[in-house]
Amino acid sequence: MRNRTQIRTGITAMVIAASLTSLTACGAGSRTGAEDATAVECDYTMPEGETTVNVLAYNSSAIDPFTNTMVKSCTRENVTLKHDPIDFSGQVTKTTATLSGDTGSYDILETYGFAVPEIASAGSIVPLDDFVAEYGEKYELDALNEGMRSALSYDGKLYALPMQAQMYVMAYRQDIFDELDLTAPESFEDMIAAAEAIREQGDIEYPIALPMSATADVSTIYQAAMNSTGTDFLDAGEPQFTSDGSREALEGLKSLLPYMDPEVTTFDQPSVQQQMFNGNAAMAIMFSGRMNDLTLESNSPNFDKFGFAAPPSLAADAPYLFSRLSVDGWAIPENTQLDKDMLFQMIASSVGEDASNASVPAAYPAREGIVTDESSAYAVAANETIAATMPAPNDPFSAPVTNAIRPVLVEVLLGQTEVEDGMQEMQRLAEETVSGS
Amino acid sequence: MMPSTATAPATRVVVPAPKRRRRRANPTAAILLILLAVLMLAPFIWTALSVTKPTDVAFANPPVLSGYTPTLEAFKNLWETTYFAEYLVNTAVVAVISTVVALVLGIPAAYALSRFPGYVSAILLLLALVFRSLPRFAVVLPMYDISRALGIYDTNFALAAALVAINQPFSIWLLRNFFAEIPKELDEAAMIDGCTRWGTLRRIMIPLMRPGILTAGVFVFLFAFQEYLTALVLTDTASKTVPVFITTQLGQTLPMLQQAGAAAMLLTLPVIAISFIAQKYLVAGLSDGSVKG
Amino acid sequence: MRRREFASFIGPSLLVMVGLLVLPLIRTVQWSFQEVNYGQAGTFIGLSNYTQALGDPRFGRAVFFTLLLTAIVTALILVVGYLVAIGVNGLGKLRPYILGSMLVAYVLPGVVGAVSFSWLFNSNFGGVLNLVIERLTGQELLWFTDTWPNRVMIIAHTVWHLLPFSVLMILAGLQGVPKELREAARIDGANALKMHLWVIIPTMRGIIGFVCLITIMDVLRTFDSLIPLSPQADAIGNESIMFYVFDNAFRDGSQQLGLGSAVNVLSILLILICLFPFIRDLLKEAKAKA
Repeated sequence: MRNRTQIRTGITAMVIAASLTSLTACGAGSRTGAEDATAVECDYTMPEGETTVNVLAYNSSAIDPFTNTMVKSCTRENVTLKHDPIDFSGQVTKTTATLSGDTGSYDILETYGFAVPEIASAGSIVPLDDFVAEYGEKYELDALNEGMRSALSYDGKLYALPMQAQMYVMAYRQDIFDELDLTAPESFEDMIAAAEAIREQGDIEYPIALPMSATADVSTIYQAAMNSTGTDFLDAGEPQFTSDGSREALEGLKSLLPYMDPEVTTFDQPSVQQQMFNGNAAMAIMFSGRMNDLTLESNSPNFDKFGFAAPPSLAADAPYLFSRLSVDGWAIPENTQLDKDMLFQMIASSVGEDASNASVPAAYPAREGIVTDESSAYAVAANETIAATMPAPNDPFSAPVTNAIRPVLVEVLLGQTEVEDGMQEMQRLAEETVSGS
Repeated sequence: MMPSTATAPATRVVVPAPKRRRRRANPTAAILLILLAVLMLAPFIWTALSVTKPTDVAFANPPVLSGYTPTLEAFKNLWETTYFAEYLVNTAVVAVISTVVALVLGIPAAYALSRFPGYVSAILLLLALVFRSLPRFAVVLPMYDISRALGIYDTNFALAAALVAINQPFSIWLLRNFFAEIPKELDEAAMIDGCTRWGTLRRIMIPLMRPGILTAGVFVFLFAFQEYLTALVLTDTASKTVPVFITTQLGQTLPMLQQAGAAAMLLTLPVIAISFIAQKYLVAGLSDGSVKG
Repeated sequence: MRRREFASFIGPSLLVMVGLLVLPLIRTVQWSFQEVNYGQAGTFIGLSNYTQALGDPRFGRAVFFTLLLTAIVTALILVVGYLVAIGVNGLGKLRPYILGSMLVAYVLPGVVGAVSFSWLFNSNFGGVLNLVIERLTGQELLWFTDTWPNRVMIIAHTVWHLLPFSVLMILAGLQGVPKELREAARIDGANALKMHLWVIIPTMRGIIGFVCLITIMDVLRTFDSLIPLSPQADAIGNESIMFYVFDNAFRDGSQQLGLGSAVNVLSILLILICLFPFIRDLLKEAKAKA
């Protein structure tokens, strides 16, 4: 009994401390973002000369706490960690650029499960297993979730140190749902029914919001829809774009389009947040790392009206949810000129216990035992999602295939190409990419 | 001002005093022009409004136009939490250095082109025209490759050098037309007095050319200050410029989006000041050089 | 001026241009025949980059859109620029303020201006112009995803950005038109129009040609403004040639560097064709002088 109270007090204190930290750290780049960030021990061997460590990591309220902790804790004496604020698409471009030559601009990279196999198989980032063996105890790396470690592994080796997982979560307007006596939708059909009811009521013309930006997010959305049927882009290296799962996914997404803003193909995740902030949409599905922003009073007059749920499935009988699980982690580029031992200790310290605690509620840290159902407004939803997301191992060809099919996918969704033709075309492009011709 | 097609008579026209024009100012035209000027300023004004609103209403739809307390929070955050000062210094240093170097190299070249008649000059001017029109990527992507190989990628030096080369054709063109305005007899007189060509250029021509050089300088500076593409490709962390920074912020969430707007404001204010101060000289300077081809 | 003097005056500048423009250009031409990555020696693959580019419908769309944009914007800039310059020239005390405010659009860095411009139209981010236009016309236009509204917005932005330069130039040119001509043009009515068309404009042929030339050059290389203004440019046929190069040769890494270079070479040819009349005039003039 006593024990439980203590735990509860502990959790409450932690949540309060964490929300304070995340509130103050919110929206900050890392120059003084670092000043109010958590300080942890970062105990590397001091190099002799003045050293600048360039960190490439996009900004979001889920990534920032880890970046800020690292920048603050590891900058001392001769060593300065430098992190320029950058958006996600900037990170993608910079990653390719910095890894492409004998030398690069960045020494520590933020990366994620989808991207790891491609750059790991190209030898662009270094395997971390030896470092883990050496420093595992010092930084308690055993506590990093096993599944998340394997999501960042390729060919049996760990290529990035997991900091957190992100999964799709649905945010919806609790007030509107209550008023119309709706419950969180469990399938696309439910979603459409809810959308019609909301539209009927008159205030919101386009109740559904998904990030479907034609140059990036749209392929993740498609993959999530396919995963809900139990298929993935590639099955043991074989493209699956002509499968039934692919067709259902495309048709399912097309059925949602009339309830989404007509400009949805230009919306990235911040644009979707904006729809929710402005009260122009009533249901949004995006990665969990974007959820905490919705609950901040400084961002929106609607901050206290959101409810969170696991995303729906494509169809009521679908095996999995409409979701993707993405694990974010830190990687070290092969072409850095700096001491990799030092860099590893930096990233290890930023995924430590204190740093992980400080990232709640904005993030879902990789360290075991940090997230409980009480950690954040969306924690229950996040835990439910994880349990019902299709495990979809990534392949070195996942990223190039995705880039290759994206324009056709957009044509299909915009109605410029028929579903069947689009599927054939995507299959052809994917096969070409896989065979390397 | 074109070296090419002008056929205007070579008479020097004195700019009429504004007084005489005012008499005939047409009120309808004036009102239309004021409207146009406001319209031209609209994007700037709108951004200024957006970044001084509190975050929760900054990008509200429909827009919130009143009933909020303006705040400079975005500017404060920009200054305190990003390396904005560093980006601004990079932008300014590169713009100033490349302008000075472009003028130092361009003035003698333009002078020579205006004094050396015949095919060689015409071909060189034509080349300048072609260089000015090159698709930027055709030179910038190889520069990216070369600068990485030489280890000067992501330095202010590499960016300034690239901008000198890229802006050189325009400045030579403009300056060459100003020099063409100055009678050759002046050079001859100076040389009879014992000046060398360089001496003539330094002692006689440059002082005479001040408005022209100012005009060319203002243009080259503005081009360099605005440059996005070259800076995007040739810089990364160490010499990032403000325009590059702003575009990497477009996919950010609210507070940082406002900071990007604030950065745009801070980058723009000095050039707006320049444009208000310089416009009088620009018209005068350009008309000196341009009336005759 | 003696030959040696000429060489010493022009040498440094020429050296910079050869070193930093011609050499890179040669590299681009080399790459266009190769399959190549940054920092590596390429393999010669003949004309396949060119055939790939010319066979790529996306490239065709980019060329079409770029030429369309250039034609419309250049025409608008010349006409509006001339009218505004005439108007500004007739202003008294107001002139510096009007001219100064107009120049703001020109001195704003292109991409910054485009971001501001996109905020004016973006309903999701509380744009005001889309709202005004919606109220006036009763139609909800999709400024970012419908081809023509998006084109109108891109055209408006490009004109907005480049107009001040042409006004400034034409205004400067007007100062060189003999006073009697300008006085005569102020008489109202049809005579004024004739006066402008047949007398004043021909007098300023040089300057108008120059404005035309610069505008064509600047619009042909439209690139950065599309990042905020047309986020799905290719999907709606509003991608420019330079954007196509960027996407293939830089954004997604360097796999397509050869293709991008081939497109660069092709666009140089295209630009030379567009500029041919001006080049011919220049050569004629040189011949006359020689």
